[in-house]
Amino acid sequence: MALLELRDVHAGYGSGPDILTGITLDVDEGATTCVIGPNGAGKSTMLKAIVGLVRVRSGEVRLDGQRLNDLRPDQILDRGVCFVPTDRSLFPEMSVRENLVMAGYSIDDKALLGSRIDEVLEMFPVLAERRSERARTLSGGQQQMATLARAWIVRPRVLMVDEPSMGLAPQVTEQVFDVIRGFRETGMTVLLVEQNARKGLECSQWGCVLDLGAKRFDGPADSILANPEIHELYLGRQANGNGSASDG
Amino acid sequence: MTGALERTGLDRRLWRGLIAVAALLLVTYPLFFDDLFYQNMIILSLILAIGAVGLNIIMGYAGYISLGQSAFIGLGAYTVGIASTRIGGDPFVWIPLAGVIAALFAALLGVIAMRTRGFAFVIITIAALFILQIVAINWDSLTQGTSGITVPLPTWDISIQNWPFYYTLIALLGASLLLSWWIRRTKIGTGLLAIREDEDKAATVGIDTPVYKIIGFMASAVFLGMAGGVYGYYIAFIDPIAMFDIVISVQIILAVILGGRGTLWGPVLGAATIEPLNELANQEFGGGNSRLLIFGGLLVLTILLLPKGIIPSVRDFLERRAKRGRAALVGGRLGERRALDGKPATATGGTGQNLLEVRGLHKHFEGVRALDGCSFAVEAGTITGLIGPNGSGKTTAFNLIGGTMGADAGEVWFDGERIDRLPPWRRAYAGLGRTFQITRVFTDMTVLENVVAPLRSFSWRQLRAGAVSGEEAARADDLLAFAGMAEYRDERAEALSFGQRKLVELAQVLMLDPKLILLDEPAGGINPTLIARIADMIRELNARGKTFLIVEHNMPLVLGLCDPVLVLASGECICAGAPDEIQRDPQVLDAYLGADFKLEEPVGAP
Amino acid sequence: MTEFIQATAFGLLIGGVYALFASGLTLIFGVMKVINIAHGALLILGAFLAFTLWEQLGIDPLASIVITTPAMFVLGWLIYRTMIGPLRSAPLSSTVLLTFGLALVCEAVMGLAWGNNSRSARPSYFDQSFDLSGIVLPKAQVYASIVAVLVLALLWLFLNRTWTGRAIRAASANVQGAALVGVNIAKVSALTFAVGIATVGAAGSMVSVLYPFLPGSHYIWIARVLSIIVLGGLGSLQGAVIGAMLLGLAEVYTQTYISTAWATAVPYVLIFLVLFFRPQGLMGTRLREDVAV
Repeated sequence: MALLELRDVHAGYGSGPDILTGITLDVDEGATTCVIGPNGAGKSTMLKAIVGLVRVRSGEVRLDGQRLNDLRPDQILDRGVCFVPTDRSLFPEMSVRENLVMAGYSIDDKALLGSRIDEVLEMFPVLAERRSERARTLSGGQQQMATLARAWIVRPRVLMVDEPSMGLAPQVTEQVFDVIRGFRETGMTVLLVEQNARKGLECSQWGCVLDLGAKRFDGPADSILANPEIHELYLGRQANGNGSASDG
Repeated sequence: MTGALERTGLDRRLWRGLIAVAALLLVTYPLFFDDLFYQNMIILSLILAIGAVGLNIIMGYAGYISLGQSAFIGLGAYTVGIASTRIGGDPFVWIPLAGVIAALFAALLGVIAMRTRGFAFVIITIAALFILQIVAINWDSLTQGTSGITVPLPTWDISIQNWPFYYTLIALLGASLLLSWWIRRTKIGTGLLAIREDEDKAATVGIDTPVYKIIGFMASAVFLGMAGGVYGYYIAFIDPIAMFDIVISVQIILAVILGGRGTLWGPVLGAATIEPLNELANQEFGGGNSRLLIFGGLLVLTILLLPKGIIPSVRDFLERRAKRGRAALVGGRLGERRALDGKPATATGGTGQNLLEVRGLHKHFEGVRALDGCSFAVEAGTITGLIGPNGSGKTTAFNLIGGTMGADAGEVWFDGERIDRLPPWRRAYAGLGRTFQITRVFTDMTVLENVVAPLRSFSWRQLRAGAVSGEEAARADDLLAFAGMAEYRDERAEALSFGQRKLVELAQVLMLDPKLILLDEPAGGINPTLIARIADMIRELNARGKTFLIVEHNMPLVLGLCDPVLVLASGECICAGAPDEIQRDPQVLDAYLGADFKLEEPVGAP
Repeated sequence: MTEFIQATAFGLLIGGVYALFASGLTLIFGVMKVINIAHGALLILGAFLAFTLWEQLGIDPLASIVITTPAMFVLGWLIYRTMIGPLRSAPLSSTVLLTFGLALVCEAVMGLAWGNNSRSARPSYFDQSFDLSGIVLPKAQVYASIVAVLVLALLWLFLNRTWTGRAIRAASANVQGAALVGVNIAKVSALTFAVGIATVGAAGSMVSVLYPFLPGSHYIWIARVLSIIVLGGLGSLQGAVIGAMLLGLAEVYTQTYISTAWATAVPYVLIFLVLFFRPQGLMGTRLREDVAV
């Protein structure tokens, strides 16, 4: 059963045209879903619409059957949807530890928060090492780790990550995906937007192709990787072939 | 924008007739009525209207708010007062000088504010007003301080009442309106509008923004300075508190906002509404605090409830009514595209000479290294591709090359000249044009106005030229036909879809006749048909000698169109070569393409 | 030399009061990117409240902050709800004009309520001074500066040691980021505005003993607001404090070495100089609305 559902969602910025032109999508509980598509297809806008940063003009976003439209981002977080945008949204002048503390703003039990902070500092030794330094001094990879650590503190039902690999070296990208895989193994539902389609799909169970503001295909991640039609139309654009290359 | 009402439903003739009748009534009023109360009210309204029409040039057209306009009234009044009492002569003789002094002071403020934006300009104008007041208070020997200057009373016959003041101000208002109308119709006006909509973008299409802003500010001051001179003579007593009154600045702003900023007649309408209120406040409620309360409160209410002003709100209402039933342009089909005239050059491809060279560029943002010693070159005559993962610094490189941002270190050489210290418009004159990832057309202008906005050089003479001259219009029409957008030429760019805006932006850049065109994701967010069309256009232009540098994620497009291809990763150019080499380079595969990349087939390969 | 030390000490004392005044401004700008031109008028309103409490009830003007601060907090909250909140997504220029209009309304209301005469609260220590081996410092100024520093310290603790304070700091660093960790931006904005106006209420209590004031006095405070912005930036509390100190010193040095009459021009001259030579502000202020990234 789908945990997060989008039904014919239209959305856009300000008074501008619709960027999302009727998206319908199911995100299954406990699975990782990867959304791919060319730049400008509306992938980020979709995540922002789900979390309330962009107003849904028509259609419906539901979590566990309950409508999320018109709720504020903080209310949507309370329902259990956590969003990590591409800019990672750390607080640059606060220390790494303070950033982790801020992640627990919505957690009322502060003792629980303390133990969760200790836990993530153990999980991410690099953050423990630099806990008292300002967040802006972290490298891109460390910042991404910090935002994932923040998400782990909240334990959301659905974690949405926008382009986790953006601006990261390949090796670091691998580590980030490992962390996301680890989250899913604990049963967390993950919705991923990724330009590096092959890496994104490899780490997912379900895939979805977005173009011009609407869903074009969806299906099991490996079947998307293997589908020659999708491959030609969309993966080629993403500069990522599947394993079928013979001259690679 | 100007005369907005005429363009839409309301009968053009009715509107003109209304204005003609109002003007006639205004001119003949003193001949038939001798009530000095109303004559006084009209005189003060005229001064306010002159101030509002002037402020509209800088605030309505260019989007810069000045809270210090009453400084020009004070400057004008003191100029006339000091000159006529010290040097002598009829005060009216000195009125042109008042205008000159006000304009020069505006130019001085413009120079100070030249490199600042938005709110800093408000700060400077308030500060200017108050500092002039302090100078007037403290420079006793010139201004007689707080005791003020008493101007000799008029010597003309009492029977003609205040006619000389009245008709001088009418003439000044007429001149202000003429200036405002003329500016809107020349290159200055287009430039100011472009600055209001997107100052960075305006600079990249060759608009020398500081010069435009200074001219705009001078134009907003000159007639108000003269009106200030008349005002000083009219009330015959010039003192620092009444002459540099910030409440008058507020009234001027209020007149512009209430009537409708950016419209020709809005400020006049606003002034005619506000001055009677001022009289009411003074007569009925004893001025002072109630005057403050009324105008402060009105400013708050206008901004909260009627931010667009009367004329634009009426226009919007009429436009909505007229539009009902008409299909929106968004999603509208594309027009037929026409090939460029003239024969393509026989030889295409690289010429062996570097048109653009980037050497060791560095740029940091809040600890993120966007560019980290980036170096590459673009050979003249090529279509060079620039690829790399998101966040690898491609757009930052474009911003540094185009001059929208300054580099922390490194050099940019273009056509044998070092350009990294030049402002964006100078780079545009040198032959550099660019488009933006998220299109940045001037949404409030028509398609044609957008295309003719770019300037290929700066000259004082060209400022006076009509915004759309015949020759330019012909060239713009050609380019729009080339882009397949000819049938949209008179639509406002706001109504266009994203893809249509991309085509307009490309035509706009071509107007600069650039040697090198930087395209930031020309295929992003648009459909395959349009991508194919843009690819065709690029090839056609390249065959006629244009060099391209293209940032793009659409690999089939890049590999089918570009040669060579540069690869950026983590702020450095890690590789450059022919498309097939790039596909095989292990470093590139690792950083970007993925180890087992294989391209099915380049899109639209010839 | 004594004159110089005297001037410096006095300048720093004045700077302390300016710093309290500017802190609220910075706080408000940080979270909602509104430059509150009415800040000066609200300061004078705070001074009038303190003056009335002193005149009618004999409450010491410096002690009256326990009343003026909460009263101004409530007023700030009301202003946010009725005017600033509805304009949340409007450009900076709209809110500048809006708060300017508010300043005029405020001036008018004060004029109607208290008249346009110059007032000044005169507690027993009003005319007394400390004499530290030749350096004479008025008691009122010293006490006021101490109270100002105490209020600033409390504000610092509030921002750094409470969840609400953290939420305010988070929202001013990154509004979207704050929303994504669960901060209710509308609520925190209203609260920040109210706290910002509360601090200016406290500063108003101080002003009531330090300077004679009348409703029209707020214009010079607009000037001070603006010059503190260009000097210190709007980025942080530290920037505001530095800007305030610089302004205090510049004013006192001008008074001491040039003339009292021209001291009022100091804020304006500073504005021109800074913006001409460093358009980005002395401390790297983001005065540009449109910095491309």
